[in-house]
Amino acid sequence: MSLLQTENLSYIYGEGTPFCVTALDKVNIEIEKGEIVAVIGHTGSGKSTLMQQLNGLLKPTSGRVLIDGEDIRSSKAKTLETRFRVGLCFQYPEYQLFENTVYEDIAFGPKNMGLTEAEVDKRVRDAAKYVGIPEVAFKTHPFDLSGGEKRRVAIAGVISMEPEVLILDEPTSGLDPKGREQILSLIKNYRDRTGKTVVIVSHSMNDVAKIASKVIVMYNSKVLMTGTVDEVFEQSEKLCEVGLSVPQITEVFAKLHAMGYPVSEKVYTVEQAYLEIKRVLTGGDTYA
Amino acid sequence: MLKDITIGQYFPLNSVIHRLDPRTKLLYTFVFIITIVLTNNFVSLALCISVALAVTFISKVPLKTVIKGLKPILFVIIITSLLQIIYVKTGVPLISFWKIKITSGGLLEAVFLTFRISFLIVMSTMLTYTTSPTSMTNGLDRTFAPLTKLGIDFNIVTMIMTIALRFIPTLIDEVDKIISAQKSRGANFESGNIFKRAKMLIPLFVPLLFNATRRAYELAYAMTCRCYNGGKGKTTMNTLKFKKGDWAALLLTVAFVAGVIFLNIKFGEYNAQFTFNLAV
Amino acid sequence: MADTILKFENVTFRYDGDGQPLPPAVENLSLEIKKGEFVAVLGHNGSGKSTVAKLSNGLVIPESGDVYVLGMNTKNEDDELKIKQTVGVVFQNPDNQIVATIVEEDVAFGPENLGIEPAEIRRRVDEALNVVGMYKYRLHEPHKLSGGQKQRVAIAGIIAMQPQCIVFDEPTAMLDPEGRRDVMNAMKRLNKELGITVVFITHYMEEACEAERIIVMDDAHLVLDGTPREIFSDVDFIRGLGLDVPQTCALAQMLKNDGIEISGDHLSVDELVASLAKILDRG
Repeated sequence: MSLLQTENLSYIYGEGTPFCVTALDKVNIEIEKGEIVAVIGHTGSGKSTLMQQLNGLLKPTSGRVLIDGEDIRSSKAKTLETRFRVGLCFQYPEYQLFENTVYEDIAFGPKNMGLTEAEVDKRVRDAAKYVGIPEVAFKTHPFDLSGGEKRRVAIAGVISMEPEVLILDEPTSGLDPKGREQILSLIKNYRDRTGKTVVIVSHSMNDVAKIASKVIVMYNSKVLMTGTVDEVFEQSEKLCEVGLSVPQITEVFAKLHAMGYPVSEKVYTVEQAYLEIKRVLTGGDTYA
Repeated sequence: MLKDITIGQYFPLNSVIHRLDPRTKLLYTFVFIITIVLTNNFVSLALCISVALAVTFISKVPLKTVIKGLKPILFVIIITSLLQIIYVKTGVPLISFWKIKITSGGLLEAVFLTFRISFLIVMSTMLTYTTSPTSMTNGLDRTFAPLTKLGIDFNIVTMIMTIALRFIPTLIDEVDKIISAQKSRGANFESGNIFKRAKMLIPLFVPLLFNATRRAYELAYAMTCRCYNGGKGKTTMNTLKFKKGDWAALLLTVAFVAGVIFLNIKFGEYNAQFTFNLAV
Repeated sequence: MADTILKFENVTFRYDGDGQPLPPAVENLSLEIKKGEFVAVLGHNGSGKSTVAKLSNGLVIPESGDVYVLGMNTKNEDDELKIKQTVGVVFQNPDNQIVATIVEEDVAFGPENLGIEPAEIRRRVDEALNVVGMYKYRLHEPHKLSGGQKQRVAIAGIIAMQPQCIVFDEPTAMLDPEGRRDVMNAMKRLNKELGITVVFITHYMEEACEAERIIVMDDAHLVLDGTPREIFSDVDFIRGLGLDVPQTCALAQMLKNDGIEISGDHLSVDELVASLAKILDRG
């Protein structure tokens, strides 16, 4: 049984009006415990809507969302419980900060869960540690932080609820390379230390290649492909057709491979590429 | 949800009325309102009602939609009608019980007023149904442009209206998003007592205000880059031009006013009490 | 010089910080942009690159030093309109630059403010919308467009003022890959076809590589100025500034550091493929 699963999930925005749009069309996905899942697709492919279905913010038009095999809409209490078990961090989350201090903002979620003060305090400190916000910054006004710091505080505001599944909708958008790197490494770090499931929505194939263990490609409200990074990136032509691209370095190795050189095509990061070249040069005979 | 709120109740269709110059529509609506208020007998009123129905018919806006638009003022109509029935004592007494006497005059007044208010509203809503907010702003801008000479800067007013129209949908999207985001952190906007609910507005309005301020600054920079200086010496790409239809509409308006004046004189005030109510 | 469009001379600028002195956002910056150039300004957030955009047409005035647009000092208030007409700025968030409720009326906003004749405005608006490929959306409402489409409308709004130079302040930062590509293409087009000077501020290095010249900003200073090849030849230095390098350059550098002989530039996939093929043939 999967931790989180959808069954023929469909969703239509503005149903019954002349402006209705199908955002999800019979989507079936499975998310296992401990995975880092990347959901990719162009704008309007339905990926953000899917995320809001997973934590019960939106109600399916048809189909179901299951957590531990149980419909998240089986009761009102179950829906509320799901909202805490599946933590959703929206795109540009820094624009939702509102408290007077960093501490209070991170504590908002845990307080809404009705936890004791001591437990709230512990969770705030833990979450801040995961995102690299030092305790001296707790009393700062969130609006006084830099863009990247605000983003990390906002992410901490979801992590502090200690969700079993952490969903991040385009967590690196609008950040500079350093900011992007920080966010990606904190996500990986969080996942390694807690063993919890992470779902990350992204446009960036480089980001996906760096951290994901499973990839779901959305196209026109449907799931186009699901698989490991290898399985998905192999189909670069299909990806290009739907407006996505493989990393630059993957292209290089695909070309070398096609020219008859004994290199693997399955190279998605610069590090892999480096090891692969070294392997061939030193005469290693197994593909990396 | 929030997105379903239509602003200005524009009903996009392609009809003769929709294509009229917004100034024409503003003018005839204004004239109609004054005229229907000045009607003093059922024959004049009948003419007004036929004109309003004709405009509705030509505009292709479904009559049902127009009648639905009257719902919000139903209460006002009922109250005023009741007051007329109770207080107007002219004509033949019909029923009397306790301290209340209902007379034929009172009933007639109530009917008269109901129709007058209803069609006054019908004609006003027809203006917004057939004129897009942008076109309306344009029309107002041009209508009031002469005021600039009197030292009243109407340019600023229309600029504010335009920016409001432009940003309302953006801010509505933002409210939707903030609500979803705070809900994801367990915020409960739907239940609890009034104090709890009021408190829940903070996580909504603090980010909303902060973001709106940020937007305002950025917009100011962008407008400066595009040489905005308060509308001094400004020209307009889409100049409004009176077309044949507009002249025809104005001619019909004049004919309509003349008709009502003629009928007002010919059929006269059917009672003195009525003029008194007019003044009120 | 006659062919210089934009010139910064020892410019220092700092923002107001509620009474407290803030560190300068730009310090002692000297820079010259020539007519027709396509220049990228690269730097991480807070490096001062966005301030360069605001300084370039007098949105903010230097604390010391001078900025000249076609020889006009931005401090001279009499030239304000002329300067803003010569150098247009497109900002990051497309939503916050669009003023009107209809696409074509928004594009007309600049020319209208300049008091241009209606027929001429119409001609310019149609042309500008065509250049950015948004003509068929001219009667749409901006808030129903995608981010990339909105940004192209914002660009058309600047083009309609017929500027000689456009400064783009991270115009692609909030867009998806498709929107980024469309905006990049629009920028290249107006540089090549209309001869407009383009200053393109970004932190995406793969976008900066498309420029003829790259200026790198760090900590309020200009630290590098050269062609993409020159800039990305020192991978470690660029990385040290918190910036990305193209994956192709990064791999070449790693191999070089390892003592593997790899020569030439590696900005594109094909260049790296050729170099690697050589190495593998040797090995």
